[in-house]
Amino acid sequence: MSVVVCTFAVGDNADLAAELLTLARRLASDAGTDLRWLVAGPAHPESLQKTGAEYGVSAIDHINSPEVVPVAPDVSVEALAQYCASRPSETLLMSQTFDARLVAPRLAARLNAAVVMNALDLESDGITLRVTTSAYGGDTRAVYEVAATPRIIGVLPNATSPETVEGPAPVVELVDVDLSKVEERIAVVERREEEGPRLEDAQIIVAGGRGLGSADKFALVEELAAALGGMAAASRPIVDEGWAPRAQQIGLTGKIARPALYIAAGISGASQHMAGCAAAKTIVAINRDADAPIFRHARYGIVGDCLEVLSELTKAVR
Amino acid sequence: MRIVVCAKQVLDPDAVNSYAVAGRLEIGEDGRSITQAAIPRLMNAYDEQAIEAALRIRDGGIDCTIAVVSAGPDQAEVLKQAAALGADEIAQITCDPAAIDHHVVARLLRAYVEHTGGADLILCGRQASDDDQGVVPALLGEWLGMPVITVARAVALDDNIVRVTRVTPDAEEVVETTLPAVVTISNELGVPRYPSTAGRIAARRMQASVLLPADLGLGDDDLEPAAVVLKQFVPAVQGNCEFLNGDSPAGLAAALVARLRADQVLL
Repeated sequence: MSVVVCTFAVGDNADLAAELLTLARRLASDAGTDLRWLVAGPAHPESLQKTGAEYGVSAIDHINSPEVVPVAPDVSVEALAQYCASRPSETLLMSQTFDARLVAPRLAARLNAAVVMNALDLESDGITLRVTTSAYGGDTRAVYEVAATPRIIGVLPNATSPETVEGPAPVVELVDVDLSKVEERIAVVERREEEGPRLEDAQIIVAGGRGLGSADKFALVEELAAALGGMAAASRPIVDEGWAPRAQQIGLTGKIARPALYIAAGISGASQHMAGCAAAKTIVAINRDADAPIFRHARYGIVGDCLEVLSELTKAVR
Repeated sequence: MRIVVCAKQVLDPDAVNSYAVAGRLEIGEDGRSITQAAIPRLMNAYDEQAIEAALRIRDGGIDCTIAVVSAGPDQAEVLKQAAALGADEIAQITCDPAAIDHHVVARLLRAYVEHTGGADLILCGRQASDDDQGVVPALLGEWLGMPVITVARAVALDDNIVRVTRVTPDAEEVVETTLPAVVTISNELGVPRYPSTAGRIAARRMQASVLLPADLGLGDDDLEPAAVVLKQFVPAVQGNCEFLNGDSPAGLAAALVARLRADQVLL
């Protein structure tokens, strides 16, 4: 069984590539095969070789075309389909970023390949692949058996912690693709970028949920976040209520963050929400209900009125 | 203008969550199905929003037929609800439940579109709340040669152009493409309507067309699943929460800050 990791030079950050390569190396070694790494988009061959060596990659294929970015699905699918036709492989792994969620299954349809998303872990006996996925918003794990090849697997961010190994520098081979006949069918006519820092990069996050009671109390979350030099975030229910902006939503359908400290105030801890913050190093939960599921994920718990505790915490850190 | 909406039934995700959190979710003897009879069956909420998006297009004065289609077993309630909401046509594609995976569903839906008068616009929920896979719209679009726009909060039609407002992680953007197209709908669309009493009454008279794979020109090869669920389980959560004590909110706050400083989480 051959394993290829596909990352986008623009669109997948270094952490995602490191996680995916770590997971893929384990899979390749289980299956007794080499690990190839396909990089799509502009990148320096030397830096690819350095990363490749750190993660035990045996060969790197590079599509050095700046237009191959995951936000351009028609071009990306065409480029990757040409690659797969010229270098057939059995298992292709992609990081499940927002844009890859479309590119991966479209590529699968183009290649008549199997596709499974939301992967957290992979196992192989050399022939079939077992994919452990998150289902029911994280409440359950569903294990798929995929015998068909080729197969494309979308791996969730934060599924693995990166682990480096010492290996020889792999050869980088340039792959030519002909994109002259493909045109993006979808035109962006208007775009309002979110400004400022990203929750995905924040080291400290203070998040509020329904337990805040009303929209004006979200200010308490923002005040503590500011006092800690962190960012404010929200659960989906209060974003749906309009208490906090959509860009600040943590969870399965929002942002997936990995801060050092995550303080959850008035959040019950539904799996949907935990999917966006479970990888935080330290979780603090403040909730009136001592049985709230959030406490099962928390390192420290405070049972009490989150409004009072938030204001006292702000005073204490100031 | 023909709008096809794909919908399916799921176990109520909130009830699944409650049972899972309480440690009482039951997985059947097959090792993969949730068997609690007490968990309600509902239309996938994102699919409900996809129907809502279609109804809003019609409310906006576009002359269109709305067809709601469902593949797999146990879809009668979903289709009845779709009819009560105002679908013009409802169709059920039945086949052996053992043979259903997302690849098979996408092939059935593709064949449905190709065999029943095509589609100018296909609306789907962004994902199903049971498997969360979200791949069917992309498979369908690619096979039908249609562009796929994901995670819409608003959909508008202007002649043969569809204009979609979508919510991406770092921007809100408006995109356009030429019909036919596939658009997936997200919860940001807003709360879907309830069926009216008149709608419910009218729905009683509406019959779903029941289609078998063979009616759609599909053979056994097309019904071969590529990804089979072997087992399902509730992941263990490591609970090592230390509950802090204090006689006042200020005391609790001080205790927490002291712990976080001792752990060097805060400096």
